[in-house]
Amino acid sequence: MRGARLGGATGAVAGPVIWAAGLALPFALDSSWVSIAAFFAIYAITALSEDVILGRAGMFDMGHAVYFGIGAYVTAILNTTLNVPILLTLPLAMLLAAAAGALLSAPLIRLRGDYLLVATIGFNAIFVLAMQNDPGGITGGSDGITGIGVPSLFGLQLESQSAMFWLDWVVLGAVLLVMRNLDRCEFGRALRYLKQDELAAGTLGVDARAVKTLAFALGAALAGLAGTLFAVQLSTVSPSSFVFTESVTLFAIVIVGGQGSIPGVLLGTALMFVVPQIFRGLAEYRYFVFGIAMVAVMVLRPQGLLPRRRAVT
Amino acid sequence: MGTFIQQVVNGLTVGGIYALIALGYTMVYGVMRLINFAHGDLCILGAFVGLSLLTGAAGSGHTGAALLLLAFVVSIIAIAVAGVVLERIAYRPLRKADRLAAVVSALGASLMIENGIMLVWGPQVHVFPAGLLPATTWHFAGATISFVQVMIILASLVLMAALYAFVNHTRFGTAIRAAAIDQDAARLMGINVNRVITSVFIIGPGLGAIGGLFIGIYYREAYFTMGWTYGLYAFIAAILGGIGNIPGAMLGGVLLGLFNAFAAGYVSSSWQDAITFGLLIAILLVRPSGLLGERVAEKV
Repeated sequence: MRGARLGGATGAVAGPVIWAAGLALPFALDSSWVSIAAFFAIYAITALSEDVILGRAGMFDMGHAVYFGIGAYVTAILNTTLNVPILLTLPLAMLLAAAAGALLSAPLIRLRGDYLLVATIGFNAIFVLAMQNDPGGITGGSDGITGIGVPSLFGLQLESQSAMFWLDWVVLGAVLLVMRNLDRCEFGRALRYLKQDELAAGTLGVDARAVKTLAFALGAALAGLAGTLFAVQLSTVSPSSFVFTESVTLFAIVIVGGQGSIPGVLLGTALMFVVPQIFRGLAEYRYFVFGIAMVAVMVLRPQGLLPRRRAVT
Repeated sequence: MGTFIQQVVNGLTVGGIYALIALGYTMVYGVMRLINFAHGDLCILGAFVGLSLLTGAAGSGHTGAALLLLAFVVSIIAIAVAGVVLERIAYRPLRKADRLAAVVSALGASLMIENGIMLVWGPQVHVFPAGLLPATTWHFAGATISFVQVMIILASLVLMAALYAFVNHTRFGTAIRAAAIDQDAARLMGINVNRVITSVFIIGPGLGAIGGLFIGIYYREAYFTMGWTYGLYAFIAAILGGIGNIPGAMLGGVLLGLFNAFAAGYVSSSWQDAITFGLLIAILLVRPSGLLGERVAEKV
């Protein structure tokens, strides 16, 4: 118990210090690395949002790229066709992604784990095909949408690589705060009970359906938020960024890193998205080695690299 | 009428292939409760092994049919060995671990095999040699049926019937079924569960290699990312029939093939996959355990 509390205390200090140090990255790195760091922040938010559903609620969501994609497309469509400012599209992106998460999951959450996994794969495939087939002429088909503007804050255009990085990094900080508090609030506890024993949770007065739907909505909303940042960072969206393999990667990040563990998910994101950038020179062997590494990590550490500490009570 | 019959034949051909691959998913799931995401890639590896043999022996003077038979035998053996090795390395250490660890291990193995194929054979699309089989076609009520289609449909039927008989009417088949119901109880009855699991990783990939070669011969091409596409379809077939259920996988494969052919022929080929996945989700909503799957009691 004592050890756990001490660990928690160092974590409480170390986390914010590391985050604050991260703000200085644009001064220390060249521009291509600043952009990689920005993508790290975006994918970290997406992976954390997957962790809400998969790691904390224990629901096998293998179509999470859908909500990431909805966020990105909402921003892209509103900004390029109606000239809505980016920062105004952000809450809409979150809201629509959350609504999609709740609506799609509502009929499915009673499915047994593996069947939920298959159904979410199905949603992902349908989403990508829908974007490719350009319904109503608003998604731009396979080419997607280009020419997304830059966000402006108090009249300041966030154009430079470093300004974008700071935006992504600050949003990541906010999401990290949400995730930390999720451990302590009633909703977070309800998720944990449900994951461990649904029947027992029910006797404690946890409404499984409502809590699970809410978990899907929250996870989807955070992914939608990341989607907006992604669209702005690339200034373009296309269906290929939201395909099923992206969902698989997010799924793997949470399991490889450690379910319900914030440091674990961040480490997992770094391994899956940053390390491949370092080994660009080995492009051909990259995913081959990656596959071996995934098997090796699971065999050697089935709980993930940085598993969740035992209890936050 | 011609279109209808044509789509039935096309659907049965593809459905037979899906069913052969789906059997590997379903048997592994039945015994181990594991979705072996690497199965599709193993099957396509089978297509590549067979292709290498076919092109390598091109000038050796062997006739088409004998060469083809040899390609099948070599490919089946190679993929069965790969399946056993895969189980030892990636799944056996995780039998007692969290289920998701094995799922991610399977995803890693899939990535490894897929990219291993790319490293060995290259990323380009490989064309299967022509003239291996007679180019005979039959015309029937406005539909064209090729020799390859008839061969695939007949071979799939024979293999499925053989597997069904093996699982239901032999001692070893009984052991497989017992291990699928309850591994611990099977162990108490003197069944060597490790041997059962090894056999499942021989039979499934062996049939999958045949399915993979059929894909190559039917579409006359093979490329390294094919494993995901066809693996996913076969997996859906297994789910559709009720995963873990052998006749279910056969039924699911054939139905999915027919459904796919009709969606492509009558609705729209660009929405074909969306229609398929829509059907899958609809079936799961109505029958959460698939068409032939037993109703699993809620955990109480």
